[in-house]
Amino acid sequence: MKKISSFKVFTTMVKRDLVIQLRDKWEFIFRVAMLPFVLILVYGYILPKIGVLDASFPSQMFPGMVGMSMLLTGIHGTAVPLTMDFNNSREIEDRLQAPVKTGVVALAKMTVGFIESFIGGLIVLPISLIFMADQINVTITLSNVLPLIGVLVLTAITSACLGLLVGTIVKPRQIAAMFPGFLMPVVFTGAIFFSWESLSNVPVFQWLVLINPLVHINEALRFFMTPQILSLDIWYSLLGIVVLTVLMLFFGSRRFVSMSKNK
Amino acid sequence: MIGDYSMKKTMLEVNDLKKTYLMKGGRKIDAVRGVSFDVYEGEVFGFLGPNGAGKSTTINMLTTQLEISGGKVLVDGLSVKDSPEKVRQSIGVVAQHNNLDRGLTARENLLYHASYFGMTKKEADEKADYYLAKLGLTERQNDYVKSYSGGMAQRLKIARAMIHQPKILFLDEPTTGLDPAYRHILWELMMELNKQGTTIFLTTHYMEEPEAFCDRVAIMNQGEIKGIGTVEELKNSIPTSDIIKLDAQLSDKQISELAKDVKSVERATKHENDILIYVKEKDKALTQVLEWLTEKKVSVKNLSLSAVTLDDVFIHLTKGTHKK
Repeated sequence: MKKISSFKVFTTMVKRDLVIQLRDKWEFIFRVAMLPFVLILVYGYILPKIGVLDASFPSQMFPGMVGMSMLLTGIHGTAVPLTMDFNNSREIEDRLQAPVKTGVVALAKMTVGFIESFIGGLIVLPISLIFMADQINVTITLSNVLPLIGVLVLTAITSACLGLLVGTIVKPRQIAAMFPGFLMPVVFTGAIFFSWESLSNVPVFQWLVLINPLVHINEALRFFMTPQILSLDIWYSLLGIVVLTVLMLFFGSRRFVSMSKNK
Repeated sequence: MIGDYSMKKTMLEVNDLKKTYLMKGGRKIDAVRGVSFDVYEGEVFGFLGPNGAGKSTTINMLTTQLEISGGKVLVDGLSVKDSPEKVRQSIGVVAQHNNLDRGLTARENLLYHASYFGMTKKEADEKADYYLAKLGLTERQNDYVKSYSGGMAQRLKIARAMIHQPKILFLDEPTTGLDPAYRHILWELMMELNKQGTTIFLTTHYMEEPEAFCDRVAIMNQGEIKGIGTVEELKNSIPTSDIIKLDAQLSDKQISELAKDVKSVERATKHENDILIYVKEKDKALTQVLEWLTEKKVSVKNLSLSAVTLDDVFIHLTKGTHKK
């Protein structure tokens, strides 16, 4: 029997997804850029300009924009194709018939979400530069670069794991409800417009939002990008990201295997 | 096609295979109830049954797509439960529904699939050229599959399942949706693959197909195998060799009376618009049936006498009949 390289099959599956995504690149860019564009335009440019928000607000918001864009893009990149594949087009069946472990198929899907997540983070940069360049006070030192990249990698992994979980739970007809019912709460409780420390006046809310991975991500990014703003202890942020990611990966994998076996 | 079974290697061994679905409220549905059969190397095996009989559930379990609730399945000696990856290497699957990558072209669908099975680019290109040409898709090979008609998609699914030259090819109603010309081409292709040693396992609704091409046939109903053997063996399993087909308005009670009253009638059943009357001594039976119909003043639109076909065996094994 011919020896099949799981790695080669994995890279072929990733390539397949990226080829398809590349064919819809303008739809992808529009989808990824619109939310940060609107939020940056309103909260980062117009509201500080007309005096409703403090001039330092863009600095507070910038790490949150990067975190949000990465998380949402990664979730979308993994979850939507997964739910469509399993419930609608059933295109994934061909890959599930490949002579490799089912986990390879899940990992390929997550890798695509991981890559898209990074692209989502990158798209925020030019938008931020256009609207908030002179108002952002971001300090990235040489010693901070590597840990910051580590946090960005963790963020992309978290987004792919959350995408795996969501994609194996949500049905195509529920995608429309996913935005108001899931993504909006994640965004607005995700410490984008406020730091976690600043919630001390609302302690119940402060503790509740800790179940949101975006809070930990944004606090970690804030720690490295805008050290002048008080943030959650970096080790707590990292612990929060890792614990939530492991939990999502555990339940997401179980759901994936269950769906692939039509249980 | 297969010759002597005893000389052949068992390619597919199915032992007491079961599938139970747990429904809401704890209710259990036994979709497959302890099915056992063997398929030999180089055999063309037909798997027939009415809708909802459990055929697709069985195929899905045999091809590692569905978890087995009980029993054992060995494909080329490998357990579907313990070594699903290795089993998948030996099989090709054509699903009933369209599961092609619609965002890819036809050629890309074949090349990606070939790559999953460790084929080199050169091998994959050659095979893709061959199957695309054979199935009349060369001209449209670079078009996205989303622009394909149902028949074209069906042909591409078949090409995809064949491209890695599986030892055993599973086809779930492969000719549904194909016009007669492409049905013929498909069978030609399957026979060609079969000659090269590929074992074929298929379900179909067209009874003339297993009659013409299958070495053996299994008929499934309500999750159980009701009959298995060569087409001739199955025909002989019916306690009659001839059937009178009647196009007439008869109630269930009248059909039951007919089976009881007429001496030469073995059994009678209703199938679509026809009443099928299984008879012995056909000439005598024909006279007796006509006499009975005249006596009961039943108007008959059409009446024909024919030898038992696989279609009749299928109906006999899967439908309720009025026996003596």
